[in-house]
Amino acid sequence: MASSATAASLRPSLGAAAAAFRLTSSSSSPASRICPSILLLQTSSFSTSSPLSKRHTYPGARSNKDMSKNRGQSALRRTGLRWRLSMSDEPLPKPRSRDELPPVEVDPDHGLWDFFPNRETVAAAPEDDMKHGRAWMVEELRGKSWEDLHRLWWVCVKERNRIATGSWERERGKMGFGKSEAQTRDREVRNTMRGIKHVLTERFYAWEDAVKLAENDPEVDLSGKGRVFTPTEYLEEEGAVETKAEEEVVGSREAVEAEAVVVPPGEKAQGEAARI
Amino acid sequence: MQPTRALLGMRYRKLRLTTKDVNKGFYKGTGTGSMGRHTSRGGYIIEWNKVRTYVCPDLTGFKLTPFVTNTVKRVYGQYDTKLGPKDPEQYLARWKAENGFD
Repeated sequence: MASSATAASLRPSLGAAAAAFRLTSSSSSPASRICPSILLLQTSSFSTSSPLSKRHTYPGARSNKDMSKNRGQSALRRTGLRWRLSMSDEPLPKPRSRDELPPVEVDPDHGLWDFFPNRETVAAAPEDDMKHGRAWMVEELRGKSWEDLHRLWWVCVKERNRIATGSWERERGKMGFGKSEAQTRDREVRNTMRGIKHVLTERFYAWEDAVKLAENDPEVDLSGKGRVFTPTEYLEEEGAVETKAEEEVVGSREAVEAEAVVVPPGEKAQGEAARI
Repeated sequence: MQPTRALLGMRYRKLRLTTKDVNKGFYKGTGTGSMGRHTSRGGYIIEWNKVRTYVCPDLTGFKLTPFVTNTVKRVYGQYDTKLGPKDPEQYLARWKAENGFD
């Protein structure tokens, strides 16, 4: 009753109207026995709904309002929502347990597999970590080429990554012993890497010193024009020398004699005489 | 925000300077090295020859491991000269023998 609600406060209560009626009826004139609504002044406003819909509260009463809008809602305890939403009636998909999920597709050739000792475990067992040899000696590495040393270095890097991943996972998962064995293995790998660096540095310094020596060497021409190395025996006969020096060289570190170069039979005596 | 109370009262001054201390002119690097140069307007130009790159070669078919079997005894090299492997004359002679000719 929208029209009648607003003026309820303005309209006097029935008790007051009855009292007014009683007052007027005491005079007991027939003209005065009229409906009290005509006798009393009435003013009605536009809408009368608000006062009627408001719940009656006693003065001084405290509010019953629930100040916590998210009371009882917990994602951890899966209580669900407190208030209805537009999709509350729609059947929503439920999450599946981990066992029901299909297995994850993994690329068998992925590079990250190299961080683990095998496909099943995350860290190597201590008895497997113990199975290693000793580090390379510098003397053994001196005989290796740049390509071999470069690849060996990166093999060492990958091995160290594997050991580090295992140690990290072992500590994180509190898996038990194995740290000591991993450290011993890591030390050997680091020693190999140290040897590689030593050999390459040594080679570089020797090269630098050799370049300095070669500047004063009559057999070597570093200007960039023509042949770099001309052995003294054949400075006159430049076209007659066969180039088989690489095949005949022995793998020792001593200075190789000029005899290693294949000499044409006619010049052999002359060559020996020139050397003497 | 408040300063840490444990560091108040001249205690902070006894600690080593960090990159965040001092207003102007104090530079402290982090050990990463110089990758370029600053411009006059406050910018930075990267010099790519200073930037380090890591080249991993192809390891397929490579049989060497970081370890050597324990059955192989350690043998130290024997050299004629005092400098031994660092001797430039030995280096040059070997180069002449192996690489002199193309």
